[in-house]
Amino acid sequence: MRERHATWSALFAEKRATLSSYFLRRVAHRWDAQDLVQEVYLRLLRIEPADAANIRSPEAYLFTVAANLVKEHALLRQQQPLGSDELEQVVEQLVSPTNLEADMDSQSRQQRLGALIDRLSPKCKAVLIMHYRDELSYREIAERMSISTNMVKKYIVKGLAACRQRMAEYE
Amino acid sequence: MNESTHFDAVRQARRITEQAVGWYIEQQEPLSERQRAAFLDWLRASPNHVAEYFAVVQMHGDMKAAAALKQITATELVEQARRDNPIVMFPHMEKAMPEQRPVHSKRSTRSRHLLAGAASIAALALVWLGMAHWRTAEVRPQQARMEHYAATDTAQSLALADGTLIHLDRNSDIDVRFDDRYRRIEVRRGHALFDVGKDPARPMLVNVGGHVLQDIGTIFEVRRDSGGDTLTVISGRVRVLDAQKASSKGDDLPLPGVAIADLSAGQQIELDASGASPVHPAQIAQTTAWLPANISFEHETIANVARSFNAYTSTPLEIEGEQLAQKRISGVFHADNPQAFVAYLSTLPNVRIIRDADRIRVVSANQTETKSGHL
Repeated sequence: MRERHATWSALFAEKRATLSSYFLRRVAHRWDAQDLVQEVYLRLLRIEPADAANIRSPEAYLFTVAANLVKEHALLRQQQPLGSDELEQVVEQLVSPTNLEADMDSQSRQQRLGALIDRLSPKCKAVLIMHYRDELSYREIAERMSISTNMVKKYIVKGLAACRQRMAEYE
Repeated sequence: MNESTHFDAVRQARRITEQAVGWYIEQQEPLSERQRAAFLDWLRASPNHVAEYFAVVQMHGDMKAAAALKQITATELVEQARRDNPIVMFPHMEKAMPEQRPVHSKRSTRSRHLLAGAASIAALALVWLGMAHWRTAEVRPQQARMEHYAATDTAQSLALADGTLIHLDRNSDIDVRFDDRYRRIEVRRGHALFDVGKDPARPMLVNVGGHVLQDIGTIFEVRRDSGGDTLTVISGRVRVLDAQKASSKGDDLPLPGVAIADLSAGQQIELDASGASPVHPAQIAQTTAWLPANISFEHETIANVARSFNAYTSTPLEIEGEQLAQKRISGVFHADNPQAFVAYLSTLPNVRIIRDADRIRVVSANQTETKSGHL
């Protein structure tokens, strides 16, 4: 079990964004997201203290629990199972999204998000766009903006939090 | 819904978002053992934390695509960020700007004259009140002369020389008379919202029928209908007094008499010839429904923008720090959503938002940031 966690951790580190958007898409359209959150939460609570100390990446653990729940749920509902236990297969499916509805949603989400980015303060906006669009590192952004890398990080946190708050108003 | 409960919920949600984002960003580097434990504890503290973390993860997934929609080059971004006075382009701004210019030019000679007359604060307010759907008038009552203002077809905003701002609804009129001792205004009919400028030497007295309202630095609304008069205090405090007979000097505005009631933020009172109703809580959103839906401003100080939001809320925004207060911005916000403006302010460098029960403090953190800067 521990070993598998390690592998999954590595995979998550690599495929973090796509994987999470994958299961969130599943959740949004096949299951009630709130039920999932509740169930994930309950499972987190059930972790024994000794085991908790051994969790190498709590984030990967979180996604693992969620992914497993989605899978169990699919089995319970006799829907097409999501494949075997192999995470690789799951990851493969990510590359070819088939749910048109979900894609439409994500497109409108991205447009809303784009509008929100324009409303940030100019420094915050510059840092976010350079980081996410141009894929510049904190250090590179810091140099271009003549600010510390610590400030770059602060702007990213501020910008994401502001965007998330505004997105929540749409929900 | 109880306003303060709602307020607490909003504050709570914002804190959780900030924590979730903070944790999410922390994951980019391997967490220390202590951080891992803290993160797990945080997740286990509430299902809301788990839900918000998922939401942040999802948004992060969209972020790349959203940022990719932007045409602006990195060099332009850096240049914009470097500018001292940021102009934030909001979607409606192009629309608001051309409508504002004619107002300027039409009154430019007068404006220049007024500026020379040290009424620069009124000129500032003129810019601020250039709302898309509102006609702007600039007023400087002369001593011992009555000025009459009426709004017939459209609502109007007035900026008085003392810094007082008045929104007049349609079919409303008021008289304004300022002298060395008092600032006097009479509401003749309709709805008027007052945001009273500070001038401790000359109290502001507002006459409404048989009553005089004495303001103590505040925002309040007066409504004169056939059914009677209603006073609603948005923020600050207002004292209601009986009106005495006019003084012998031919001053046709009555002077204040006996105090009847003191109102504070969120309270309302009905007044008519027979007296006053008990003071009761007001529905602020209902009271201010006639005000414009958007707050738009061009190159205006944050202090003044915050002030215009305060006409709509019992938890006023307070900008602390002169440099921050005087920073100029442009944009359009929904008037009923000061949270959006606060969210914008929170993205400015070194700005902290402190939410008290009766106000929102926007604090400029001047102290140099600590390296450890925990999230």
